Amino acid sequence: CISRVEPRLNFPAGCSHVNGYKVDNWKQNLRVIYQCFVWSGTAETRRRKAKSCICHMCGAHLNRLHSCLYCVFFGCFTKKHIHEHAKNKRHNLAIDLLYGGIYCFVCQDYIYDKDMEQIAKEEQRKAWKLQGIGEKYTTWEPTKRELELLRHNPKRRKITTNCTIGLRGLINLGNTCFMNCIVQALTHTPLLRDFFLSDRHKCEMQSNSCLVCEMSQLFQEFYSGHRSPHIPFRLLHLVWTHARHLAGYEQQDAHEFLIAALDVLHRHCKGDTINDNGKKANNPNHCNCIIDQIFTGGLQSDVTCQVCHGVSTTIDPFWDISLDLPGSSTPFWPLSPGGDGSTVNGESHLSGSTTLTDCLRRFTRPEHLGSSAKIKCGGCHSYQESTKQLTMKKLPIVACFHLKVRSLCLPQKLTVFFVFYSKESRMNGQYQQSVDVLNNDNKYSLFAVVNHQGTLESGHYTSFIRQHKDQWFKCDDAIITKASIKDVLDSEGYLLFYHKQFLEYE
Amino acid sequence: QVLSKMESRMRATINQKLTEMGERERLKEILRARLTECGWKDQMKAHCKEVIKEKGLEHVTVDDLVVEITPKGRALVPDSVKKDLLHRIRGFLAQHAT
Repeated sequence: CISRVEPRLNFPAGCSHVNGYKVDNWKQNLRVIYQCFVWSGTAETRRRKAKSCICHMCGAHLNRLHSCLYCVFFGCFTKKHIHEHAKNKRHNLAIDLLYGGIYCFVCQDYIYDKDMEQIAKEEQRKAWKLQGIGEKYTTWEPTKRELELLRHNPKRRKITTNCTIGLRGLINLGNTCFMNCIVQALTHTPLLRDFFLSDRHKCEMQSNSCLVCEMSQLFQEFYSGHRSPHIPFRLLHLVWTHARHLAGYEQQDAHEFLIAALDVLHRHCKGDTINDNGKKANNPNHCNCIIDQIFTGGLQSDVTCQVCHGVSTTIDPFWDISLDLPGSSTPFWPLSPGGDGSTVNGESHLSGSTTLTDCLRRFTRPEHLGSSAKIKCGGCHSYQESTKQLTMKKLPIVACFHLKVRSLCLPQKLTVFFVFYSKESRMNGQYQQSVDVLNNDNKYSLFAVVNHQGTLESGHYTSFIRQHKDQWFKCDDAIITKASIKDVLDSEGYLLFYHKQFLEYE
Repeated sequence: QVLSKMESRMRATINQKLTEMGERERLKEILRARLTECGWKDQMKAHCKEVIKEKGLEHVTVDDLVVEITPKGRALVPDSVKKDLLHRIRGFLAQHAT
């Protein structure tokens, strides 16, 4: 188990002046102050707060307004109005109306008394509930007992900037480098790692052949702190059992392995797919398992009839995007190097070299299907020529790109911005590029690269993974070495894994 | 800053309205999210740590921190965030004009 908690320093709780306040009906009085003036949950308390929470000396509502704890007095902190009151009346305690902290004028600092903190927390939660905000995320504060347990656990690990947690080599069991590099990519997918390390998988399979359980075990091995390479024989056996087409000791394709692994994991996640009603999601198309949550995107295909301009739309789920490089055999409308492509991502497009953005552009360009591939048009009721365009209707949290042609050297991108086409900019069935390009919502960062050297029959897979923010490592089966970002970006790139930068709550 | 009496009064009225209708809390949440997304919160956290290191953990007070980081904090709020909030406040006031 990994502990990111430092044992709390033992600050003296409270002060004598705060203790002096704790007489008679102090708890109730304090609650009333919180409810009326700090976290006003009801319409009535809000109205009262709006009217009365102004400084009794200058009338301002800003300037860190505080309320005296002993009498009805509001005063600015910044302008020291509350300090004057405290001195004149010898009322030593005040409460910050913005954050609810208790200030002691004798100790000249905010005091964090356990009992008062407890009351503050409760009142805040009450107000959130009344306002319809519900439960908000609060950081975990360990109890004394929890701290004790953590201190006694010999497997406690401290994460520092240079630690090698999460890094582990994988023994090659006979041409299994294709599996090893995918395992490296998956164990360094942040959301997946968090899912497994918080033990979220509830297994429903009777036999011992659950791949998700094995994956969970794998994460335990990787984050155990052991430095010797791991031997993934159980994983290999399970893969052979569930994905027969990958069985055997020949070299397989890493991309195929990725898809097969995701598929099996998705199928074995049945116990984890609880939807909002507490019922299990039985529909395989609307699965809410962790694999779908992270990897599944939606690819929209629009086929436009060239005669009646009617559009037929389908949306299919995808786990990866296979990209052709420009220059390969299928015909396409030429990209203009000096055109609008040159300022995407703020980088200029060098003529002669291809970027990932070029590939994505090519992928989403409208394609004329030609007279030999006429589609039956629902509007015209006959076969017509049409254009087809692919767009990404829903972006997954982790986007995996599969580059089909590997001979060209592709300068990699560390960050990719997906351009969102707005519905309004659709002309003649074709989407035009919208203006708002560099939107934080669409920012994705590279975190893993899988490379292949050699031919299909006899080649070798290696991978680069990002362990910490800017720390990259090269994984060559059992050998893990530090790599620079330049090493990563200069590598060929067969599979590229990007993670969405900002996550939204649903 | 020194505001004219008229501006102060307007500010107070707007604040009253926002508080009464609970809009102030909602806007605070939106602001919190924006400031986290753009990295402002992390910047401020780092700055706080510097101040604490400077003054010493045993001696630093909350007030020290507030005084030290407020000007920097105000200056580092991105224009886009300011625009967004202003837009929302305007919209709200337009809807609830008396």
